Amino acid sequence: MPDRIMRYLLLMPALVIVLGTTLWPLGSAIATSFRNWRLKRSPVPQSWVGLDNYAFAFEEPEFWNALQVTVVFVTLDVMIAVAVSLGLALLLRRAGVLQSLTRAVLILPFAMSPALIGVSFRFMFNGEYGVLAKGIGWFVPPLADVIWLASPGYAMAALVLSDVWHWFPYLTLIFLGGLAAVPVETEEAALIDGATPWQITRLVVLPQIKGVIAVALLLKTIFALKMFDSVQTLTGSGPGITTQTLAHYVYTIGFVHYDMGHASALAIVLTAILVGIGIVYTRLVIPPKAVAR
Amino acid sequence: MTARSPLATALQSAVLLLFFGIIVFPIAWMMLTAFKLPRDVYQLGLGFSPTVQNFGIVFEAPWNIGLRIVNSMVVAFFTLAIAIPAAILSAYSFSRFEFTFKRGLFFLMLATQFIPAVVIILPFYLMFRDLGLLDTRTGLVIVNLAIVTPFAVWMLKGYFDAVPIECDEAALIDGASRLAIITRVIVPMALPGVIVASVFCFILTWNEFIFALILTRDKAVTLQVGLVSFRTERGDLWELMAAAGVFITVPAFIAAVAIQNHFDTGLTGGAIK
Repeated sequence: MPDRIMRYLLLMPALVIVLGTTLWPLGSAIATSFRNWRLKRSPVPQSWVGLDNYAFAFEEPEFWNALQVTVVFVTLDVMIAVAVSLGLALLLRRAGVLQSLTRAVLILPFAMSPALIGVSFRFMFNGEYGVLAKGIGWFVPPLADVIWLASPGYAMAALVLSDVWHWFPYLTLIFLGGLAAVPVETEEAALIDGATPWQITRLVVLPQIKGVIAVALLLKTIFALKMFDSVQTLTGSGPGITTQTLAHYVYTIGFVHYDMGHASALAIVLTAILVGIGIVYTRLVIPPKAVAR
Repeated sequence: MTARSPLATALQSAVLLLFFGIIVFPIAWMMLTAFKLPRDVYQLGLGFSPTVQNFGIVFEAPWNIGLRIVNSMVVAFFTLAIAIPAAILSAYSFSRFEFTFKRGLFFLMLATQFIPAVVIILPFYLMFRDLGLLDTRTGLVIVNLAIVTPFAVWMLKGYFDAVPIECDEAALIDGASRLAIITRVIVPMALPGVIVASVFCFILTWNEFIFALILTRDKAVTLQVGLVSFRTERGDLWELMAAAGVFITVPAFIAAVAIQNHFDTGLTGGAIK
C-alpha cells in the first residue's frame, strides 16, 4: 500500500479512539448544557433552554464557592509543590548515599493512587488518633488541638499537603532530568568569576531549565484544576463545602442531584477555564518550537 | 564544586533525611496498619502484635476484594491491549510522515487532556445507561481509553523519533511493508520506550478512580472504588482499608520501580526534547 494512504490509515485507530472518547463527550456535554434535563424526572432530555443553565450556574453561590476553593487550592498546591521539588532537585544533583537513597524512593508516591492517598491522609489527619495530626501537634504545640478535617482552613491545608506529597517527588524527577542537561562548564565558569553558590543557582542554573520549569508548572496546574479523587476520599469536600473544588462540584450536581443540564454547563465552564489557562501558558511560557514538535 | 563547610554538609544531610522520611512515612504507616489488629490501629507506638488476618478478611463477603482485583486487572489489561497497539501505529505515522494538519492533529491529541474527567463521564454515563453498559468492565475500558491513548501516542512518538530513519529505509529497500517495519524494526528497537509507555498507562488505568466511582455499583467495582466501602456505619475500618491499599500499591510500585530510570521522561518527554 502506498505511503500516501498508509500514513492516514496508521493514524486512524488512535485518532478514532481519542476523538470518540474525548471530543464526542465534549460535544455531547455542550449540547446537553443547553437543555433542561433532570434525570430523576425524565430519562430523556427535556426542552431546550438556551443559556439558562449557564445563567443559573453563575447565580449559585456554590459555584462561586467552588471557584474560590479551586483558585486557593491550585495556587497553594502549584507554588508549594514546584518550589519544594525544585529545591530538592538542586540538593539531589550531587552524588552521595543519602542522595541515591532519596532518589530511589522518588517514584513511589506518584505510583500510588490518589484515592488511596486521600484515604491514608484522612486516617493520618484524624483528630483523635491520626499520626500526622499528633506528630504535627508535637512539633508545633499551637497546632496540637486542631481537628484538621473539621476546620475549614486546616482541611484545605490537609488537602494541599496530601497533593503536594503525591506530586513533589515526581516533579523532582522531572527537574533532575532537566538539570542533568545543564553543562557543568557553565557553573565552573561562574565559579571562577567569583559567583556565590546562590548566584550560580539563580543566575546560571535556573535560567537553563526555564523550559522544564514551565512544563512542570503547566502540568501541575492542569492536574490541580482537575482535582477530584482526594477531595472525595480525604475531605469529602467538607467541612460543609469549604474544600469543594469545581470538579467535585460538577460531580455533585451531576451524580448526586442528577441534574444533567446544570452539570453539563458547569463542566463546560470548567473545561473553558482549563483550555484558557492552557492557551495562555503555551503562548506565554513555553517556546513555540517545543510545543509544535 | 566548592569546598563545603561541615555545617552546610550536615544541614544538607538533615534536609535530605527529612525528605526521605516525608516520602516514605505515609506509605510505611499504611503498610504497618495493614498488619494491625483493630485494637492496635488507634495507638501510635510500634509495640503491636502483627497479624495477617486483615488480608484474609478483605477476601470475604461483603468486601470481596478478590473480585475487585480481577476487575482492576481485566480493565487495565484490555485498556492497554487496545490503546498501546493503536498508539504504536499512530505514533509511527506522526513520527515518520508529513501530512496536512499534522501539527494540528498532534496538538489536538494532547489538548484533549485539558478536558476534565467529569466532562467525559457525563455523556458516557447517559450512553452506558441506554446501552446497559453501566457497572460493566467493558464500559470502564472504553472510558479509560480516553485518558491513556493520548499519553501513549505522545510518549511513543518521542521514542520512535529517536530511532534513525535509515532503519526504515533499509527495510523498505528489502521490500518490507510499513506494518512489517513497525512490528519487526521500530517496536523492537524502541522496546524500552514501548515498555515505559505501557507501564505508565498501566499505572494511570490501575489508579483510575472517578470513572469507576460513577460507572460501577457492584459487579464491576474496582480496587480503588472498593476502598470507599470500608467506610461503614461502624466507622472507618482502617486496618482493612490498609490491607486493600497494599493490594493496590504493590503492583503499581513493582511496575514503577521496574522503569524508574526512564520515568522522568514520562509525562513531559515529548515536550522538552
